[in-house]
Amino acid sequence: MTIDRPTTLPPSWAESLLRLILRKEDRDSVSGDLLEEYREAIVPVLGAKANRWYIRQVAGYVLRATWAWGVLVAAICVWRYLLDTLAPIHYTPGVIAFRSAVMSWALMATFSGCGAWHAWRTGHLRAGVLLALIAATIGGYLGMAGTLLCLAVSHGPETMAAIEGSGGLFEGFPGVPLLLMIASVITSTPGAIVGRVMAAIYGWSRPNTKSA
Amino acid sequence: MADALGAFEQAVLITVIRLGDEAYGRGILKDVQARLDRDVAPGAVHATLDRLERKRLLSSKLGSGTPVRAGRPRRYYRLTPAGVRALNDARKAVENIWRGLKWPLVKARSMA
Repeated sequence: MTIDRPTTLPPSWAESLLRLILRKEDRDSVSGDLLEEYREAIVPVLGAKANRWYIRQVAGYVLRATWAWGVLVAAICVWRYLLDTLAPIHYTPGVIAFRSAVMSWALMATFSGCGAWHAWRTGHLRAGVLLALIAATIGGYLGMAGTLLCLAVSHGPETMAAIEGSGGLFEGFPGVPLLLMIASVITSTPGAIVGRVMAAIYGWSRPNTKSA
Repeated sequence: MADALGAFEQAVLITVIRLGDEAYGRGILKDVQARLDRDVAPGAVHATLDRLERKRLLSSKLGSGTPVRAGRPRRYYRLTPAGVRALNDARKAVENIWRGLKWPLVKARSMA
């Protein structure tokens, strides 16, 4: 019986992260369910490895909250790659500036939207920024994988010349995910502030809910 | 007409009926795991409960906490009339699909 070990606790940082990303009204009930499962079913079976189970579950909640935003970020990156390779521009000044502007604005809107959405949902500004950062990381690496896949399918001399013409391979791979992570923190912050204000004015409501 | 229910959504709704007054997050998780005979992530159950509540097929209320949950309240779920209708529709659809076939299937009918 786990009731004999009421002080068994999961990693405090993981529990804080979970509570940060949950909606206010779900914060206690969902983290309570996870704590009950951890203490009653997981610790007796897994012992010291129970913390790993708890961290995996929290990662699952984080991934559920961010994967769609990450896919959107990746889609924008792959779209730009395809555009630059299928319709190469060879540094035509006006065109490259337009493409870059469209991509940058699309990414900024995505990060701001992600920050606003999660700050509104959770009531925490930090949650908005953190989840946008995680979405940018997922999106950056997914985009890199998608770009590599496109490159594996089509890598003729014209494609390689087009890549060189739009900044080269180095710019597309290690640089972009890191740049996205920095950009996400900067651009999600105003979004998260808006979301936090929205949460204060129009709090998230749950349908069909009765108070105890 | 209501949206079609997925298999996991049906499993969760049926579990809520089976558990009655004891249908809260972790209880539902344990029952779904036992009936599906596979490991189910708590996050998957919570996401499904949330989705079903947004579809207004479930309603919920907060209950009291227990020491093992560090005093945090349980959220108890109940089917709404729309939830009952959706489950009946889902069951009827499956029966219509299977009508005329003997179960369990022995072999697929030849296309030739």
